[in-house]
Amino acid sequence: MRNKHLIARIYLSFTLVLLYVPIFYLIYFSFSSGKNMNKFEHFTFAHYQTLFQDNRLLAIFLETILLALLSSLIATIIGTFGAIAISAMKKEAHKNTTLALNNVLMVSPDVIIGASFLIFFTALGIGLNFGSVLLSHIAFSIPIVVLMVLPRLNEMDYSLIDAARDLGANSWQVFSHVLIPTIMPGIFSGLFMALTYSLDDFAVTFFVTGNGFSTLSVEIYSRARQGIDLEVNALSTVMFLFVLLLVGIYYFITTKKSRRKNHRVIGGLVK
Amino acid sequence: MDIIKLKHITKQYDDGFVALKNINLTIESGKFYSLLGPSGSGKSTILRIIAGFSQPSSGQVFFDGKDITDLDAAKRHINTVFQNYALFPHLNVFENVAFGLKIKKQPMDKIKPAVKEALHMVRLDGYANREISELSGGQQQRVAIARAIVNEPKVLLLDESLSALDKRLRKDMQFELRAIQKKLGITFIFVTHDQEEALSMSDEIFVLNDGMIQQSGSPVAIYDEPVNDFVARFIGDSNILSGRMIKDYEVEFANNKFKCADGGIKPNEKVEVVIRPEDLDIVAPEKGNIVVTAQTQLFLGDHFEIKAVDANENEWLIHSTNGVKLGERVGLFFDPEDIHVMRLNESQEDFDARIEKYEGDENEN
Repeated sequence: MRNKHLIARIYLSFTLVLLYVPIFYLIYFSFSSGKNMNKFEHFTFAHYQTLFQDNRLLAIFLETILLALLSSLIATIIGTFGAIAISAMKKEAHKNTTLALNNVLMVSPDVIIGASFLIFFTALGIGLNFGSVLLSHIAFSIPIVVLMVLPRLNEMDYSLIDAARDLGANSWQVFSHVLIPTIMPGIFSGLFMALTYSLDDFAVTFFVTGNGFSTLSVEIYSRARQGIDLEVNALSTVMFLFVLLLVGIYYFITTKKSRRKNHRVIGGLVK
Repeated sequence: MDIIKLKHITKQYDDGFVALKNINLTIESGKFYSLLGPSGSGKSTILRIIAGFSQPSSGQVFFDGKDITDLDAAKRHINTVFQNYALFPHLNVFENVAFGLKIKKQPMDKIKPAVKEALHMVRLDGYANREISELSGGQQQRVAIARAIVNEPKVLLLDESLSALDKRLRKDMQFELRAIQKKLGITFIFVTHDQEEALSMSDEIFVLNDGMIQQSGSPVAIYDEPVNDFVARFIGDSNILSGRMIKDYEVEFANNKFKCADGGIKPNEKVEVVIRPEDLDIVAPEKGNIVVTAQTQLFLGDHFEIKAVDANENEWLIHSTNGVKLGERVGLFFDPEDIHVMRLNESQEDFDARIEKYEGDENEN
């Protein structure tokens, strides 16, 4: 038994190390005074200084976050309503078709989606700027929100809605007092997934950014093409810490919720 | 006083399934009613129509003399305790109970004492700040009742509300529900498939099957005088034998003629005879009305359940406080009053009319 545990632990550690080594390698060299990652010269914050003096990069960093927040928020609102509409469909065939259409968007390669947005925007004569990137980010985030919210709706005990009506609630009160609070955890996970999707995205953004606007991933890509600058390492380190913080917040919220309410079925006989 | 009246209610679903066929019933205020039937009999559908969650295909619902067929569930003075309680998981006990009052925009200084009172009624004082997930099944049940009664409804509907509880707790809650109903003095309509539950709690029972009311009446009347063999089989155990009416107060079955308490049936008419297993007394073979051979015997704690066969291969179910030896011939004794004669395909109206008539005759003589 002991041995088995040992092997499992070694396997797990090995996998984690393998996954994190490249990132830590990158972070390690962000403190090197050299020009490249061939050799660690000596410890310095110089790259961080250049990073925080690089106004263009900082502006892009903030815009990327603004874009992520805005697009995930709008996508969550639209996606939640979409999920409610799908779960309210009476005919199973309609439900499955809509869901399949939703999933096709999830599975299809970003390059295709990006290219199609580019064609779409140019055909409509919409300029490529913050607006076009925002629209496309909202568009590709909606399916993931739908997928995160739908299970909560399916698990929900629909007698909760009858109960609210029975107690005198009108349609709006049923929606705001019962439906939304009950599926809130699903909405939250949808929001966070949309947020990471937006921060993550390179391919779609690459197609729909114009001259005036760029996101971090696109910017880093274009800089890396001219040879890796250790400023990018410093930026990556900052991003890594930022994402760590986000994940920490998400973990804190979800565990706090589930500690109080660790039940599978929502509503009904709560065990 | 009549508080709810259903007139010619039918319910047909989109897929063509007919859940209710011409239901007529009258609910008086201040009584405890049960809608009793097997699953799929339409009992929950009646409840949902009274509550306003579903619309009848045809017919009318009256509440206090007013037609409420098209009135929204939110506007009816009726509250429901759901089968799985349907408590709001994101709210604690106090917020759950206060939900209805908050929706009605009552001021907080009125809500607080009302909620406290309702929680006291269901014996959950001091539970106001608990989360729903911290409560046991029985406590959740009480919260669901408190959430309904705090709105002071005129009628409380309970949809199989005890079925999720274990047996002991269910017994306790039966007593408690009855006590709450007496204290509030409002009408309870309780849906159940458990005949014991219905018999022990109700003032009046509606027995349903196949979307139709088979029989309505007090628990004693339904148990002692089932109108057809569905009711006889569904309510309690029974021995049902086919027989023939000889004349008033005399019936033939199991190749013997017996005195009975029923009349008003044509001589020679084919009938069915019901004898409850607990009305059969085991006596010496020569003293019995019928002689049977015991075949199987189960000990059920408070009585033995014995299956026996008579000379004509009729099976008899007997409840006896004492056991018998298997394979032994014993006599079965029963009084004329223990025999209940049912006519084939007799409706409850005909049944009631007949009873009225021959009981009237009896009094004249």
